[in-house]
Parts: sequence; C-alpha cells; structure tokens
Amino acid sequence: MSRQISFNIFRYDPQDGQDKPKMERYQLTETPGMTVFIALNQLREQQDPSLQFDFVCRAGICGSCAMVINGFPTLACRTLTANYPDGEITLMPLPGFELIGDLSVNTGKFMRELAERLKLWLHPKADDHDMHRLENPMAPEEAARIYELERCVECGVCVSACATKQMRETFVGAVGMMKIARFEMDSRDARTADDFYHVIGNQDGVFGCMTLLGCQDNCPKDLPHMQQIAYLRRKMAATIL
Amino acid sequence: MSAKTRVPTAINGGPYGQAWSAKADCLQSITGLILGVFLLFHMHFEASILLGKETFFHMVQFLEGSMFSSTDHGFPIVTKIISVIMLVIVAIHAATALRRFPTQLGQWRAMRGFMSSIKHKDTQLWFWQMITGFLLFFLVSAHLATMILNPEIGPHLSAERVYHDNAWLLYVVFLPIVLFHGIVGLYRVILKWGVSSNRPLIRTIAHVLIVYLLCLGTLSLVTYINIGMELVLPVQPFIPN
Repeated sequence: MSRQISFNIFRYDPQDGQDKPKMERYQLTETPGMTVFIALNQLREQQDPSLQFDFVCRAGICGSCAMVINGFPTLACRTLTANYPDGEITLMPLPGFELIGDLSVNTGKFMRELAERLKLWLHPKADDHDMHRLENPMAPEEAARIYELERCVECGVCVSACATKQMRETFVGAVGMMKIARFEMDSRDARTADDFYHVIGNQDGVFGCMTLLGCQDNCPKDLPHMQQIAYLRRKMAATIL
Repeated sequence: MSAKTRVPTAINGGPYGQAWSAKADCLQSITGLILGVFLLFHMHFEASILLGKETFFHMVQFLEGSMFSSTDHGFPIVTKIISVIMLVIVAIHAATALRRFPTQLGQWRAMRGFMSSIKHKDTQLWFWQMITGFLLFFLVSAHLATMILNPEIGPHLSAERVYHDNAWLLYVVFLPIVLFHGIVGLYRVILKWGVSSNRPLIRTIAHVLIVYLLCLGTLSLVTYINIGMELVLPVQPFIPN
C-alpha cells in the first residue's frame, strides 16, 4: 500500500521585496520508483504552481536539479523517496550560489565566471592552430583518463558541500580544480605546470583546500576529487622545489 | 554595484600563484607529520612506566644519551633541547595552520551555517580539529614550558610532578585533545597529499589508534598518580637495583 510522504520545502522569492524565507510543508502519495524530482513535479502540477526548481534531463546528466536533501547536497532526479523510511524529506537550495527562487540557484553564472577566471578551455600548442589538419592520435589510456574527469556535469554539489568554499568566496572549489587537472593531463594543451601554478597555486586554489572532502563524499558522479586535488597539490608543490 | 569588489591580482584578472602558499602548505603538513609521529613515540616511551619503574628509568637514561656518559646516567639537557626544538616546530605548525582559521566573524558564521545545514562527518571532524588546535596553543605551551624549565624525568620525579605538583590536571585535559588533534591530523595529511587513497582503511587505523593511545595514556597517568601518592616529600630520585 502506498504511503504518504511529507516535504518541507524552502520557499523564498528574492525578486519579491515583501517575501520572507520560510519552510512550507506539502504531502503526497508515494508511487513506486518515485524520485524527489518526480515528487517535485507532481507537487507543482497538483498543489503549488509557484514552486521553483530546475531540471532538464531527469537522468543525472545535466546537473540542473541539485539541491540539499535532508542535509545532503545531491541530484533530485537520482534520489528515490523510498530512501527515507520515515517519509520526511526536507529540501533546501544549494548554498553558495545566487538564489533564483525557492530551490533554484544560478549555478550557470558561477560556472561561467569560474571558466573565464581559470581559462578552462583547451589552449592548443603553437603548431596546432590549423583546424584543417588532422589531430594527432591520442593514446587510449590518456583519452580514458581525460574522459574520467570530463564526466563532471557542473551540478555545483561539490561547491555546496565544501565548507572552505562557503568561508572563502574566492576559493575555486573542487569543480575548478577538477577541470584544471583535466587540461593539465591533456597532451594537446600547451600550458605547463608553471602556467597552472599561476592560476591555482595559491590560497584560492589547491593550497587553500583543507581536505574536508565534502566534494569527494557528495559528488553525484563519483568523480575522484580527493585523488585529483592531491595530484595537483603534489604537482604544484613540485614547481617551487 | 556589488558591495564586494575583487581586485584583479594578475594580468589575466585571475589569482596569482604564490610560492609562499605552497611553502606554507608544505610546512604545515611536514611539521604536523613530525608532531604526529613524535606523539606516537612519546606515548609509548612514557607508557614504559607500565612495565615498572626500572624499565622507565632505563628508557629515560637511554633517550637522554646515557651511552655517551661515563656514569650510565643521561643528560637532562637533552630533554630541554628536544623540548625547545618541539616548541619551534609547534610554533611553525601553529603559524601556518592559522591560515585555515575562520578569522572573521563572517567566515565563522558561514562555517556554522554550513554545518547546521549540510551533514558531513569530515567537516565536523575538521571543526573539532580546529577547536582542539586552538586549545593546544595553550596546553602544548604549558607542557613544553614545564619540560624546558624542569627537564628532570624519572619514575619518582615525573610522578612527583604529576601528583604533588598537580600536573595531572593538565594531562587529563591534554591527553584526549592532543590525541584527537594529532591522529585526525595524520589521517588528513595522508589523504591531502595522496600518500594513500584507501580512506576507509586510514580512517579505521585512526579510530583504533585514538582508542588504543587513549587507553595507554590513561593507564600511564593513573600509574604515575599511584606512584606519586606513595612518595614521601621531599621526593628522592629513583635508584635502580
């Protein structure tokens, strides 16, 4: 028999000058295989059309529906309501981002600023600017290593799960370091360890990380943040020796 | 306009790489490692009292360089010198670790706000490591000051200090705090530099070590108190058979 589940949802519209942050309670009947994302859509369709939250793919690929579910930042589309035996689910927006409204935050703006600041795109080598030339073949092992880090969906969970980032606004966070590590290991990229040191070899980068491992423990794509940050730290420390 | 303006610090508008950041991070880890390993040895050396007064006496003489003495007695100045060296290492560790402290009220609020909304054990662990680190500024200084001013160690002399001079009051507080801070610190430094990525194993070892050393330290302390209670003032140094 289906059970009733309760949602406590953070509600606040920063565009409305009269509005105040508050928690609102909703109830609905659980269905088999229900995710938090499905439940939110049902709530919006049947109970409260003003409820704001983000989604695109519904399959853990786009990273849009990240939010804090019962204290854990994660993707709503990959979280089954059945995981909560007491049927009580509290939803909060991801901390550390500009709030659009309710559960919707502007991760896109953050990611774009980060990419521009850290120059997160391929910097081809001087002899590799002819777009008509065939690219040099890449060793499958290297391609696999790069692909592993390319799996990041920019959901912002690692940023929200990082107390260092919450305390220091300019800290680049795991997503920034993951992307730097991705270009650092790409043989097509012209930048050297020294160049990367100038971007993340400081308190806002890899030496500001306190190894709290919120990124590692909450990443919905299970990216190896801990190993990558340690790798970058060793690499960057070696540049001053 | 935003109240917070980030002043560009590099030609590309991004943050600068700073050699000092890497040095400070390396120094914090190296001094932490030295202090952590020293703690492991120290706990076992002082616990040799559990094997009897004679064993502890010979252990102390050996560590104070009795092999270089014609009288078979060590030199208490060795303890003094080691204590001064440890004080310097502690000072470097404290100075570099201070970078991590939430030094502004806003950072403290962000940290507490984060901890109240996001459940993450390693972040809570770090929070308590920070608090114990702060307390250790005072506790380690008091302990080392005693060892520098009065470096004489022996089954009776140490027991006199613990019981008659009431140093047990310091050690009862010092022991759990230094063990927690030191062992959690070793756990973090291993993960931070990627010495091992087997986190569950490192965490289990850390848990076992804390419990084991806490038992060892408590038993030793009780033994010193018992010896101290049996001593008649003025205390005569222990003479082996």
